[in-house]
Amino acid sequence: MEVQYYLLLSAALLSIGIYGILTRRNMIRMLLSAEIIFNAALLSLLSLASLDASYGTVGGALAVIAISLSAAEVGVVVSIAILMFRMRGTLDTYELRKFRG
Amino acid sequence: MNLPMDLNLLIFLISAMLALISSLLVVFHRSIVYSAFFLSMVGIANALLFSLLGFPIIALFHLIVYVGAAVTFILFSLVMMREVPTVEPGLKVAALSSLVLAALVLSRIFLSVSAQPSFYLEYRELTSILVERYWFALIVASFALVTTLIEAITLARREV
Repeated sequence: MEVQYYLLLSAALLSIGIYGILTRRNMIRMLLSAEIIFNAALLSLLSLASLDASYGTVGGALAVIAISLSAAEVGVVVSIAILMFRMRGTLDTYELRKFRG
Repeated sequence: MNLPMDLNLLIFLISAMLALISSLLVVFHRSIVYSAFFLSMVGIANALLFSLLGFPIIALFHLIVYVGAAVTFILFSLVMMREVPTVEPGLKVAALSSLVLAALVLSRIFLSVSAQPSFYLEYRELTSILVERYWFALIVASFALVTTLIEAITLARREV
């Protein structure tokens, strides 16, 4: 399989994720769209890393670290969403404007 | 063991279609719970693609950490909120498809076949490069995961 097909697929996933982030106001839905973008980025990283053996190990190491950090990011954002839901009773990001001083 | 090229192409097409359809459903489905479920399907399809590219270790790590921990954490957190819609029956097709997909992913990974025979990521090589070159990033990632764990425990105990 040519790597271009993987890159095209990652571009399609990236576009869907960007559309989701731009059109949704619910915090969890925005997080889910951001996770689609993360998956697209990971796919493109590993596609390009598979082109050469010297890139492959570095790309694999970076992918391991990125997956770990993404799991941590999900935890942080979901914690913020739960706190916001307890304080405001909604997950609408427009409500965040009220937190500004 | 090398599978024929046609089978690799078939697996690529199935996983690519699944990733695209699932990501569209993540964005457009009305229920957030189902959206999170479809995100896990995107993760499984991506793991399949990683193994096709010659990264079976990364594919397993993605399945364990991302699909197994992160997406499950989102699903469980949604239960803590009142906006979660009631669970509707009729998920048998989705459950069956996820079962078949998981079996396909694991069999593909365990067969250790790479689409490009020029590259195959070795576990020892990955470990050595993580410990020797990216040790600081590994420590940062570990701290981030521990912080998330503490946040989750604090929220679960309702101390905030």
